[in-house]
Amino acid sequence: MMLRALQKVFRKLTYAILALCASVVVFAFAVWLPNISLIVKVMGHPGISFSQKLNLPISLLSSIVTNFTPLSASYTIAVAVLFGVNLAMMVYYLRRKIDEVAQSGITTGFFGIVSGVVGMGCAACGSFLLTSILSLFGASWILSFLPLGGGEFGVLGVILLSVSIYLIAKQIQNPAVCKI
Amino acid sequence: MEENIQTNQKNTLAMPIAVVIAGVLIAGAVIYGGGKTPSNNRATAPQQQPVQAEQTGNLEQMKQISASDHIRGDLNAPVKIVEYSDTECPFCKRFHDTMQQVMSEYGKSGKVAWVYRHFPLTQLHSKAPKEAEATECASELGGQEKFWAYVDRLFAVTPSNNNLDPAELPKIAQYVGLDINKFNTCLSSGKYAKHIEDDVQNAQATGGNGTPWSIVISKSGKKYPLSGAQPYATVKQLIELALQEK
Repeated sequence: MMLRALQKVFRKLTYAILALCASVVVFAFAVWLPNISLIVKVMGHPGISFSQKLNLPISLLSSIVTNFTPLSASYTIAVAVLFGVNLAMMVYYLRRKIDEVAQSGITTGFFGIVSGVVGMGCAACGSFLLTSILSLFGASWILSFLPLGGGEFGVLGVILLSVSIYLIAKQIQNPAVCKI
Repeated sequence: MEENIQTNQKNTLAMPIAVVIAGVLIAGAVIYGGGKTPSNNRATAPQQQPVQAEQTGNLEQMKQISASDHIRGDLNAPVKIVEYSDTECPFCKRFHDTMQQVMSEYGKSGKVAWVYRHFPLTQLHSKAPKEAEATECASELGGQEKFWAYVDRLFAVTPSNNNLDPAELPKIAQYVGLDINKFNTCLSSGKYAKHIEDDVQNAQATGGNGTPWSIVISKSGKKYPLSGAQPYATVKQLIELALQEK
């Protein structure tokens, strides 16, 4: 059922491109996040050539190898890919059945995205966003008690996004007819 | 029928509410995350400044580099990389190798100097502050040469993630050729605890919220923040950018 739904969606090149672009954006966001200020500084520097401005963020992408643990790199990539797939499937379904949105699937998807995003970060020194969010409530000490230091939210993001994809796939496979 | 309408209305609301909650959380985290550090044990009020302005202003609070710093290379090198490091952070261990690669390419020609400062993340690595003190004791007993030998050896042998046995610290001292008795006396005195804490405060003041936290300073004095164990290619690009500045 899942495979048929995926085939239905991704046989159209538009959705494959949408999924790919969305995945790349999420992946780049996750990897660039610790050095956003550096990227902004370099991009805004008048004395740096365009090719140098382009090379720096591209080279920063390979920090997925140096600045992530194997687990955090895995769920970062998984969240990025699943986000792209989820988004493409949501757009496909919404375009096909604009009046009958499967709220449970889409809501699960958004919570999956939130969970995945907050779980990202430099795994050795705590999730960047999660630390910030918990600090809003004066509760950043909680991270030190979690076995994966906040990485649990990245794993949870993968699970929720997968569930969302499954639910949307089910809806896509439902025939657009009234059941007798 | 009426029940279905109400259910549909609730369902209609669920999605936008989920989107709004997600957006608020992420926006709040990105804005608020600029001034937060995992090592900060004090209670602090939420900050409202935009992340970008805050981090730019913080870099200027970096303590000036002086002869009293731990410097590898020429103090008068046109580009300096100030690294705030935690001896138990596995990413600092990786970045230490990267910086050694930097120094083998740029240090010998006097183009880059590496300045090492302490940023032990006590909440994650309770042993790190004492290890930082141990490196200072190595410096006291044997000068810069022994300091760097000690730091290199410590990063080479530590399993990271707070797993180094404290009994190894005097063994490392012996390995690099220091007097064990004097080393142990120095370490147990705690005389360098304040110096370590001063470095931690400075790291936080410059916007550091994790380790390794580095600041690349060009010959014009412009500062570039570099967070995390970035690959050699990235550091090299940044060095080249800093070198070409007039």
